[in-house]
Amino acid sequence: MKLSDRKFKVVVIGGSAGSFSVVSKILSQLDPGFPLPLVLCLHRLKHVRSGLVEGLNMKSKIPVVEPYDKEKLRAGVAMLAPSNYHLFVEFDSTISLSTEDVHNHSRPSIDYAYSSAAYSFRDKTLGIILTGANKDGARGMKSICDKKGYTIVQEPASCDVDAMPQAALRLFEPDQILNPDEIVKALNSLVV
Amino acid sequence: MGLNSCGVMTYKEYLQVLKEHSPYDFSDYSDNSIFRRIQKVMRDHQLSLEELCEKTQGNRYFVEEVVEAITVNTTELFRDPAVWKYLFEKHIPVYRGNNFINVWHAGCSTGQEVYSLLIIFSELGLLDKVRVFATDISQKALDIAKKGVYQHQIDRGCMDNFNTVFENHGSSSLSFSKYFDVDEKNDKISVKPFLKERIKFIRHDLVRNEMPFYNKVDIVFCRNVLIYFNVKLQNRIVQRFYDGLYNNGSLVLGAHEGLSGFFKTKFERQGPIYRKSNTFHLRY
Repeated sequence: MKLSDRKFKVVVIGGSAGSFSVVSKILSQLDPGFPLPLVLCLHRLKHVRSGLVEGLNMKSKIPVVEPYDKEKLRAGVAMLAPSNYHLFVEFDSTISLSTEDVHNHSRPSIDYAYSSAAYSFRDKTLGIILTGANKDGARGMKSICDKKGYTIVQEPASCDVDAMPQAALRLFEPDQILNPDEIVKALNSLVV
Repeated sequence: MGLNSCGVMTYKEYLQVLKEHSPYDFSDYSDNSIFRRIQKVMRDHQLSLEELCEKTQGNRYFVEEVVEAITVNTTELFRDPAVWKYLFEKHIPVYRGNNFINVWHAGCSTGQEVYSLLIIFSELGLLDKVRVFATDISQKALDIAKKGVYQHQIDRGCMDNFNTVFENHGSSSLSFSKYFDVDEKNDKISVKPFLKERIKFIRHDLVRNEMPFYNKVDIVFCRNVLIYFNVKLQNRIVQRFYDGLYNNGSLVLGAHEGLSGFFKTKFERQGPIYRKSNTFHLRY
């Protein structure tokens, strides 16, 4: 089935080392009429608390915000997991945050963001895992796959650090393996 | 026990059982987080949901164990230093004229932020006026809070946080060891007794309606606690904070927590602080 024939409620993008430039590229080439809520879960240095959202906003074609707890997902808005909080996507299309323990040495944990979206929206979830030096995210992507959501893994050869995509590929077979240009194309194909 | 149409028990039904057989009600907790924590309990004890249910009904000690496992107890000294800096430089000095300053620290967990606040009062010369009621659902967490001994803090950035908060403070650099005995060899810090004297630790479940003490308070601290609850429960608790505060009193929430609709008109926002107000505010 073509990606554009599927109905999604949320797109979740996760990345770690090297992902800032990829996410920035995706956001800068996204159709301004992008019709879905976008959740970004990126590993960031705990003590660099600010700057990421501003950095992403500079080039992005859609607004990027750090959500407050229980904020509603909005079509065409990218919500970036705040530093030092886990982010979950809830049944009622709200975001909830958590300060519980680090997972895979990370808070936010990409696994948590993916698996909460899979749990809430099942096959209406589109998950994209990007470059990174950690295995966080792989299990979460698998849970999207298990719930028949759509999964895209960044092509390892196009990654700064391919540990994260490789960890994902060891756990399940994604719908697509794409380089950043192709990821942009895939996302823009969702614009009707 | 309740079974749904598929004959399979859901964790929501488990929460109902827990509610009926214990003093604890987790049914208005945020779905994803509570679900994952129950899964963890099941994994750690190698129990199915049905078995978990059975054990919950028959074993009081096990219930306490479950409650400890599903409540979140992560906290750190001066988490979000910018907020503490604001409290120190702009907000807490407002209370200089008071005879007493009553503080309710709701959901204090293992106490790091209770001590953070007391250090701020101390640096402002207000320590002898302040009385803190520090409450939490977890007895284990309260026991740790009372002890005030923390492991693995030194390399965790809490020193950096501390220095950030007090960077513009006076000429002499303020030393961490004024408030803590530091054992670098074992990576351990212990709160000095004079800070502890200001605090009354009380076990209290925020979900329940009765207040844990009688006093009205000047400041309610409740940081990164409401995020674990759904909006309905959040609002019920914020109403209780509102009722418990003196007029003009302050509510301090976590950096990514806000007030929903109705309460935006009952509190006025000042930097990271929400102040109880009698005038009507449309927005901030």
